[in-house]
Amino acid sequence: MNDFLELVVGATATGCIYGLVALSYLLITRPTGVINFAVGEWSTLAAFGGFLLLSRLEWPYPLGMLLVVTMLLLIGWLTERFTVRPLVERGAPPLAPILALLGMLVVFREFASLVFGADPQPVPPAFGFGRLELGPVAGSYQSFFIIAVAAAVFAAAWMFFERTLAGKSFEAVAIDRRAAALMGINLRRVTSLAFAASAGVAALAGLLVAPNVSAHYLMGLPLAIQGFTALVIGGVGRVEGALLGGLILAFAEQFTVRYAPVPPGLAMGVPLVLLIVFLLVRPTGLLLPREART
Amino acid sequence: MKQVLLNRIRTALAAALVVVAPMAFAQTTIKIGLITDKVGPAKGFAEPVAQGAIYAVKELNARGGLLGRQVELLVEDDQGRPDVSATAARKLVDAGAAFILSVSLTPATQQAQSVTLESKTPHMTPSNSGDTLTTQIVNPNFWQTGPLASTQIATLLSYARNKNFKRVALITDNSDLGQLTNRFFKAGLEKSGIQIVSEEVVPGGSTTADPQMQKVRAANPDALFMTGVLTPENALILRSYRQLGLKTPVLGNYNLSIPVYSSIAKGLLDGVTFVDGFDPAKPEAMRFIEAYKKDTGNEPYNLHGYGYDGVMLVVDAIKRAGSTDKDKVRDAMQATKAFSGVMGGVGSVYGFADGKRTGFDGNGMVVRVYEGDKQGKVVHVGAK
Repeated sequence: MNDFLELVVGATATGCIYGLVALSYLLITRPTGVINFAVGEWSTLAAFGGFLLLSRLEWPYPLGMLLVVTMLLLIGWLTERFTVRPLVERGAPPLAPILALLGMLVVFREFASLVFGADPQPVPPAFGFGRLELGPVAGSYQSFFIIAVAAAVFAAAWMFFERTLAGKSFEAVAIDRRAAALMGINLRRVTSLAFAASAGVAALAGLLVAPNVSAHYLMGLPLAIQGFTALVIGGVGRVEGALLGGLILAFAEQFTVRYAPVPPGLAMGVPLVLLIVFLLVRPTGLLLPREART
Repeated sequence: MKQVLLNRIRTALAAALVVVAPMAFAQTTIKIGLITDKVGPAKGFAEPVAQGAIYAVKELNARGGLLGRQVELLVEDDQGRPDVSATAARKLVDAGAAFILSVSLTPATQQAQSVTLESKTPHMTPSNSGDTLTTQIVNPNFWQTGPLASTQIATLLSYARNKNFKRVALITDNSDLGQLTNRFFKAGLEKSGIQIVSEEVVPGGSTTADPQMQKVRAANPDALFMTGVLTPENALILRSYRQLGLKTPVLGNYNLSIPVYSSIAKGLLDGVTFVDGFDPAKPEAMRFIEAYKKDTGNEPYNLHGYGYDGVMLVVDAIKRAGSTDKDKVRDAMQATKAFSGVMGGVGSVYGFADGKRTGFDGNGMVVRVYEGDKQGKVVHVGAK
């Protein structure tokens, strides 16, 4: 039973990381239709930012975290301004921004590799590497910290979309860009903010996971794949879907490894098989977008 | 007018010299090709090995070169990709490389062999450790001087003989080399009559190793052998090991010998035993460390030594061959015996037994134990 509860904590923390990356995708995909596979590299840049400020310069954790997230907000905004917007304004086909962002993925990755080298670099956890035991429930300090931060981010995102006018404008653009523009919503502003917010969320994911996996130049792609899988499972229409998708994927991965009677080399394929079955049964993802709810 | 004409002639002559001089240099140099991974997954280890090779060429040229000629290192990036590696090998053959060194992923090195087999170009990997590199393709032009996985497990078992392990666990990653290393560790353990009670895989890109380590904990083995070669995943394993309160002795493959663990696995390493191809107290290693530090200002470690030894083995073979004729160099390399290099324990030497093309001394690996976050001294040498 202790093993089970221990794994629940670990899988929840991992699911929260996947959920944050899925949210990072969703923030861009929902209003623009663009899939940005470079979200994983944004997490990588944030992880290296954490290494620089928190490990090397030993800044206080909240201050370092704040600066890294702010830097990534800026990088997200710049990415949209100089990579995506020129293509959209020139009437490029919808695939063009996706390809341009794939190019940016390589640029970000090589930048990290050139500046910080090929070796993984340490990033400290917020409260050390200790273990917290709450009755039968146990996990690392970092696991509980990840869960707490992710819960706060998802609550804030939900509040933003459901309770604020700016959030409603995002939702309006997501439902019908042309109609939203005719209603006076500034599409450029929404798109810029979407990219900035997406990079900020990806930065948080990178900072939270880096104490476990270290900051290294190849960490982005696996995160991008896991986050995208979580997005597909949860559905691209709703913030809650990203978190739900992340949790389902993480639980499937970790409980398969721990309890399923399959050889260790094959266990990692089980969640992907589940994903295929899931898509066949429910191709829209678990949660439908607002306009399609019946 | 005459002066103008003279000036023009002088300029033309100078220009001709600028063009011809490097050509003449290129024609007189001995070219050694180096295929390395500058951007792919092998970059982490390929970079220091390549730096060791580059330093070796620099040192050699400062000492007067080889056969009275300077040595030129032609470096190609294969991105860790087999297809690109073969293309790089072809490019180096066309450029006149007398010898090619591969410092990349095992599958990439394997693929490059298709070119060196066909073109009969001498080819060696100074660092790859996969046991199958010289057995899957019958390529008499290819040698391997990295320490084999089978040598690593034999050395660890020799060290642990008095510990009387009966039931052990294996944990690896899903990389090609990780899987291959695991296969040969498993074979070595089974050959010694040791039961494997748990065998786990932590895929590259994982964010935790808790489920795998929970299974190891439940199996209650006498020891845990780490056979993975992905550094972040190995750090994850060690983190879960500590978090889950395991006390089982940990014995790691040679990946755990790279110094980066001291920073990314800080606080997790004390007592971890690992096998290494490098003894910093070996006189040849001490000389290399000093010279490299003096020249570059950076402290080298074991991976640099593989690259350095690789170049020096090639140089030794060409010297004995007396020319860069491919057949003569091949025969000379195969005849290498008792070559003392930077790598290996004190007294260990490189050499190729008859019919074998793996040259790392079977009794040349050492065992060390982490003391806190620092690599301790050598506690055991060899596999006997």
